[in-house]
Amino acid sequence: MPDTLLAHLRSVAPVVAAIPYLQPADPFLETAGEDMRRRIYLTETANGELRCIRPEFTIPICLDYLKNHSQPRRISYGGAVFQQGRKDNTEFNQAGLEDLGNTDSIAADVACMADMLDALARCGLNNVVVTLGQQQVFQVVVAGLELPPTLAQRLMRNFGAPQQLSAQISAMEDGRGPEIAVEDEDTLIERVEVMMKSAGLSPRAGRSPRDIAARMRQKAQEARFSLSAERADILRRYLAIEAPLDEVSGQLERFAKSSGLAFGPALQNLETSLQQLRARDVEVDQLMFKASFGRKLDYYTGLLFEARVDGFEHAVAGGGRYDRLCTLLGSKVPVPAVGFSISCDRVLEAGGSV
Amino acid sequence: MTLTIAVPSKGRLKEKTLEVFSAAGFDIEPPVDARSYQTRVTGRNDIEIAFLSASEIARELAAGSVHLGVTGEDLARETIHNTDDVVDFVAPLGFGHADVVVAVPDAWIDVDTMADLDDVAATYRATCGRRLRVATKYWQLTQAFFRHHGIGVYRIVESLGATEGAPAAGSADAIVDITSTGSTIKANNLKILEDGIILKSQANLIASKRAGWDAADRQTMDEISKALNV
Repeated sequence: MPDTLLAHLRSVAPVVAAIPYLQPADPFLETAGEDMRRRIYLTETANGELRCIRPEFTIPICLDYLKNHSQPRRISYGGAVFQQGRKDNTEFNQAGLEDLGNTDSIAADVACMADMLDALARCGLNNVVVTLGQQQVFQVVVAGLELPPTLAQRLMRNFGAPQQLSAQISAMEDGRGPEIAVEDEDTLIERVEVMMKSAGLSPRAGRSPRDIAARMRQKAQEARFSLSAERADILRRYLAIEAPLDEVSGQLERFAKSSGLAFGPALQNLETSLQQLRARDVEVDQLMFKASFGRKLDYYTGLLFEARVDGFEHAVAGGGRYDRLCTLLGSKVPVPAVGFSISCDRVLEAGGSV
Repeated sequence: MTLTIAVPSKGRLKEKTLEVFSAAGFDIEPPVDARSYQTRVTGRNDIEIAFLSASEIARELAAGSVHLGVTGEDLARETIHNTDDVVDFVAPLGFGHADVVVAVPDAWIDVDTMADLDDVAATYRATCGRRLRVATKYWQLTQAFFRHHGIGVYRIVESLGATEGAPAAGSADAIVDITSTGSTIKANNLKILEDGIILKSQANLIASKRAGWDAADRQTMDEISKALNV
């Protein structure tokens, strides 16, 4: 692992992570889902426990943080990672930083992006373009449409998967399914209890009769819903927004006016980020806001970003805010978290040095 | 050169294969020696038959150590990575019908489709304290199908024996399993999701793209696939 990049990261994030190559696999599979299995190298201990060869640093760093730290920490890291899903290099160096426990989210986000751009500049890449997404702003748009809760949650889940998202919007527009008649809640619960009992299912092992009855009633309520063309158009127009960060506020304001939605503090937060980025000498016209940009993992919660060099297929670096990850990993209290990682092989491909 | 065909070594799949080949004019002879797995087709010195288990046949096709094989599409798709790059499905043989399906407990009255299952999976952790668990021996098919339906957050638990018993045993919440009539699934108080059919499988004559083929081998294969006429 090259020392210059690491030394630089260490200067802004003094805690240096020491993450062994061999990791328990469950935290990766539990948080990133079963799909992760195809992307990591799995192996087993003699007594059948799943291990994997370090596929990335963020999850082990969070686990270590939860075990050994209680104060906010900026942690830097670097080293080889192993990812089976990649077409070309399945073993490559990654370096980056995680900022854990800082409750000033905006300041932490800004510092993280600015540090990433500094680090890339140290690698000789001064010409990167950063694409930014903001899950929270999308959430405000979805909330403003007053959709049935299940459909709103489904939209949020599909954020970052453009095809599934647009398919869902069309499906909601065509909407209105057949009416579903349901009994009152107590009758439903009783019916489900009887069915579970005769199937030998424990009412406490998984979904309870109460959960099932509640969702059944919600489903019946939502079956008759269809999305008006006007509101479908609002969603589509929002997702099409793409502009340099310093022009986004204006665009979002116009969008808010024409659609009757209110962004409230979300717009103010964008403005604050912009000012702070300028204060860090970041050229904000290199930052492109793209409303549809997201990642389909349920632990990301806010800002997402990715840096590219024009003419090269792969992003050289990426990151984002993942306030839900530590909770998924077992933390009793929420831990605000943001970070980025640089793929050293992509930096080299794009003409940089590490 | 000799064309090698791998044929199921026991059970109904073996009987049906011999029947279909015989009807097409290819009589597969019983091995000369009971301990041998190699045999031939009467009057054809250019064809060699290897009796193997159905899952071994899929592996041998993937390795290219046999030209042709008879096995279920489910096993081929489950066992062979990037299936369509490695093998050709030459002809469906009209037997060994079975569907690979997603099934959930009957008592989940609110779940009829994959979209319902997606909603349930997404909130499973919040309501039940853990991810949704799916019991199966079809890892590959399950992962690909669930991904296609946008479902990422769930866990597969490996099932070695009776998959359909997993929900009642408490080791899983839902299953992906094979069924021909659906009666085992029904008997276990499970139901197949409306859009939960992953694959309608049957026995297939399958060709390995990785085997060494010469012109004579290809000609023999064409002759067989025409004669099978299914």
